Amino acid sequence: MNFKTLNILLLLSIFSFASNNPDNCITCHQNTAPIDNYHTYKEFGCASCHGGDKNSLDKNAAHKNMVLNPARLEHAQMFCGKCHSEIISRVDKSIMNNMHGVLDVLKYQFKETKTIKKTSGINYLKYKPTNEQTLAEDHFSKLCAACHINQKEEIFKVSTKRGGGCVDCHRVNEQNTQTSKDMDILKRFKHPQMSTKIPSQNCLKCHNRSNRIGLSYEGKFESEGYGTPYKKGKLTHHLDQSRYYYDLPADIHHTSAKMSCIDCHTEKGVMGDGKHHAHMEDSVDISCKDCHSPTFKKTEQYTLATMLIVLNENMPHPKEIAVSKKMNSPIYNLQKKDDNITFYRKSDGKEFDISKMSDAPYHTSKNHERLDCTACHSSWIPSCYGCHEVYFKNGKQYDWIKHKKTKGKWRELRSYLRYESPALAIGYNKKIMPTAPGCQVITTIYDKNITNEGFHSFAYAAWDPHTTQKQSRSCVDCHFNPQTLGLGAGNLNIKDNNITFEPYYNSIESGLPINYPIDSLVSKDGVQFQSFSRDEARGFNKKEVSKIVEAYKCIICHNKWDDKIYKDFNLSKKLFYSKKTSCSKDLLSK
Amino acid sequence: MQNECTTCHKSKIKQCQKSNHYTLHNAINITRQTWGIKDSNVTLQNLPMPKNDIHKPADLVDDFLRRKCLKCHLTSNTINKTQNSCLACHNKHFSKEDSKKAKPSMNKCLKCHNNEYIGTDYKGLFPHDYDKAYRSPITKEGYYPPRPYGIDFHHLNSDIHFQKGMTCTDCHNNSKNKKWEDKVSCKSCHTNLTKKNHKSYHKNIDCSTCHTSWSVSSYELNLLRDDTPNYSQWKRLKVQDDLYLENYLKKVLKSKKIIEPMMLDNITNNLSKGLWYSGWLFKRWENIFLINDENGKIKIAKPMYQYRISYKNKDSKMILDDVTHIENKKIEVFLPKTPHTITKNSKSCEMCHENKIMLDNNLINKDILKGQIQKGYPFSKEQLKKLNSPFYKKERAKILFE
Repeated sequence: MNFKTLNILLLLSIFSFASNNPDNCITCHQNTAPIDNYHTYKEFGCASCHGGDKNSLDKNAAHKNMVLNPARLEHAQMFCGKCHSEIISRVDKSIMNNMHGVLDVLKYQFKETKTIKKTSGINYLKYKPTNEQTLAEDHFSKLCAACHINQKEEIFKVSTKRGGGCVDCHRVNEQNTQTSKDMDILKRFKHPQMSTKIPSQNCLKCHNRSNRIGLSYEGKFESEGYGTPYKKGKLTHHLDQSRYYYDLPADIHHTSAKMSCIDCHTEKGVMGDGKHHAHMEDSVDISCKDCHSPTFKKTEQYTLATMLIVLNENMPHPKEIAVSKKMNSPIYNLQKKDDNITFYRKSDGKEFDISKMSDAPYHTSKNHERLDCTACHSSWIPSCYGCHEVYFKNGKQYDWIKHKKTKGKWRELRSYLRYESPALAIGYNKKIMPTAPGCQVITTIYDKNITNEGFHSFAYAAWDPHTTQKQSRSCVDCHFNPQTLGLGAGNLNIKDNNITFEPYYNSIESGLPINYPIDSLVSKDGVQFQSFSRDEARGFNKKEVSKIVEAYKCIICHNKWDDKIYKDFNLSKKLFYSKKTSCSKDLLSK
Repeated sequence: MQNECTTCHKSKIKQCQKSNHYTLHNAINITRQTWGIKDSNVTLQNLPMPKNDIHKPADLVDDFLRRKCLKCHLTSNTINKTQNSCLACHNKHFSKEDSKKAKPSMNKCLKCHNNEYIGTDYKGLFPHDYDKAYRSPITKEGYYPPRPYGIDFHHLNSDIHFQKGMTCTDCHNNSKNKKWEDKVSCKSCHTNLTKKNHKSYHKNIDCSTCHTSWSVSSYELNLLRDDTPNYSQWKRLKVQDDLYLENYLKKVLKSKKIIEPMMLDNITNNLSKGLWYSGWLFKRWENIFLINDENGKIKIAKPMYQYRISYKNKDSKMILDDVTHIENKKIEVFLPKTPHTITKNSKSCEMCHENKIMLDNNLINKDILKGQIQKGYPFSKEQLKKLNSPFYKKERAKILFE
């Protein structure tokens, strides 16, 4: 037995008692199913997690000061925190708890702040009276705030249950806690099961809207709402009562290895690293290169990794494991033994070979050094054009923070959806990434009648769409595709050495308050029409657009990466324009 | 077709009775054949009555045509409230001198020629999706946007002839060399073709293939005839480009009593049991791909349609459940089309020569975007090879560096 494993067992034994029953709760609550292999009743009893008087046999006395769900974040430090204190203080600050990322961007998009100002998200609005809330804050409370890990879980039906603190993610096999109603309440109840092997459906409870990465990863594209095809006379492909999807290619990590979210997303990346990050991308730890161009370190340097490997029970305990480049956290399911690198799926320990990023010229070329992996390897991106926000001041709608109906009601309309040819832009990491509308807000505000307070604010957002494919996009798909360049759908051409572009969409005639096509992030001259909510992010500028398109002139014939002209493309271009290459004679004759 | 116009226009009326506008034989027979009736050759006037005994799509097609499809014909209630079929297209006039009045206005044509068909695309109109979330944008006055021809539309760029003020009849008219229903040739007006490609390597390509911008492509037309009062699933989908259905659904969804599903036969105007519902997979304006038409001219292909057919009878039994094939063949038609979105500048060479749909180049939805072609044939291997031949590349490179 390894030294670290021994440590864990020692830790567990502190809670052991001499008697078989650590407390008297079991006298009445006989039907408690085990939570997992570690938080056993024998070791912990009930009261160490739920409080109350563990020695009393009187119901009222025993239940005094008890907590039904000690995993709620307001209780967690007191109960779970006896062992996991450090994690809970990180989770408290994390973006999935506070949702401040969403609120702060929304306030910026609604033009209520000039820059992104960090608030404390949910907590900031908890005690703010509805009539003092701004429009963005009300929108957030009514439409966005349903998803945060400390949401009140009892307001949901079982199938869509969210919140509850730690258990929002760590509770598994929920359906097992449901048994028939006519049984004695004491027997009916089964204790929820907990795990660190978090199934993706727990993540998908929330990560299915906005940029929809959870859905995209599994190849589901939220559709225009037709619910087709009809089977047995009914609409199919439901996401929920009013949302539908159709099937597109899933992410290769899903199709080839059925990897779950947690196979990539590290403990720190998900539960936070203790810092109050402004945005999701600041919190996320993992990058493609962490696995496909991995750095290995000695396992013994990472106590956490050792514990997690033991808890997982399905994978070996290697000498070396991969670590993330950003937060230096252990990726314990990517292991190195001798010279072999093996990836272990966390759910069952199944082994997979992992392909290393090649050093072929398309990866190493200086011309492509600003490309994020996602720019070429993402095959589609859910793009929702036009977010028509209709606000009724005198209506009432459920407020997900105050948990009651409050004044003000929102309805959302759309223009159209697309998934093809993801546009590219400079993303939050200053690298070139896929981008799509996020969001194109057009508000209509009604008091008794329509008011003139409506405004509009059109923005794009860049993200990893989680639609990764091994095969990258083709050269032409970026270098001569107006949608990829961010110009929108239309006719891109080169005439007399000038780039020409005729867009399809006519926003003014379509009744939109903008004088550029709704799918144009930038003009062909690099004038940016729509904003980003990140300082670093922007569409391609004039120089970049013309450089990308200029390269196409060569790509049309030299369409293989091993073509010698790409060894030093700048030099090749120089030679070409000084008429020193074989093709320059044909093409530059005049 | 006896009416007050007969006195003067006897021969024209006779001619009209043979026309496709009167008999609708094209639409009717293509649909019937696609649904499995071999060698169908009927017209609006002798279209069989719907069958009661239904086992296969062919048994259902006449009901579909009558109640869902043929809303547009010269005496249809929805487009012509009079009994005079001439007035579906023409305005009344009273003397020889005011005969110009009778010229069909564009709005009269577009009453039928709209939606995903050629017609409204001339004005740059592209139909919205059905879900109620697409009734956008809200107007400045606070209302849902107006619905010309009963349909919510996106505005895309319009045909150059429209921009210059031309209407349908400026091209589609009776003249010395042709009848009003004959195909119009661009070359009858545009005689001076100067570009090198027009006469050489592109001589087999229809003008519209290069000189149009976008085209309406609606994929997978799902149809359900439901004879049971099962309405609740259509709450968000009341708008289906079918005003009768929309109003009916509004009524039955509000009603506390169960109202039986009834729909109008557009030819007899009689009500009969069952409602026809429809929905798409998706619609696009960007997607084009090329095919050869019957005469070997290269044209843009348009899905018309890729059917998925269901029929639930009054006993809730699924007689047809999402039928997509007849005798191992998909129930689908792609037709060569001339989108009326003409532009002066041609498409970039790449839109065809690097076309993802034709070349399967990283195409996400291979099965849906292509299909069986009628009134034409697909690109041969040789034609596909030509798309990125060394000759093309060299010619294109020359233009790029011009």
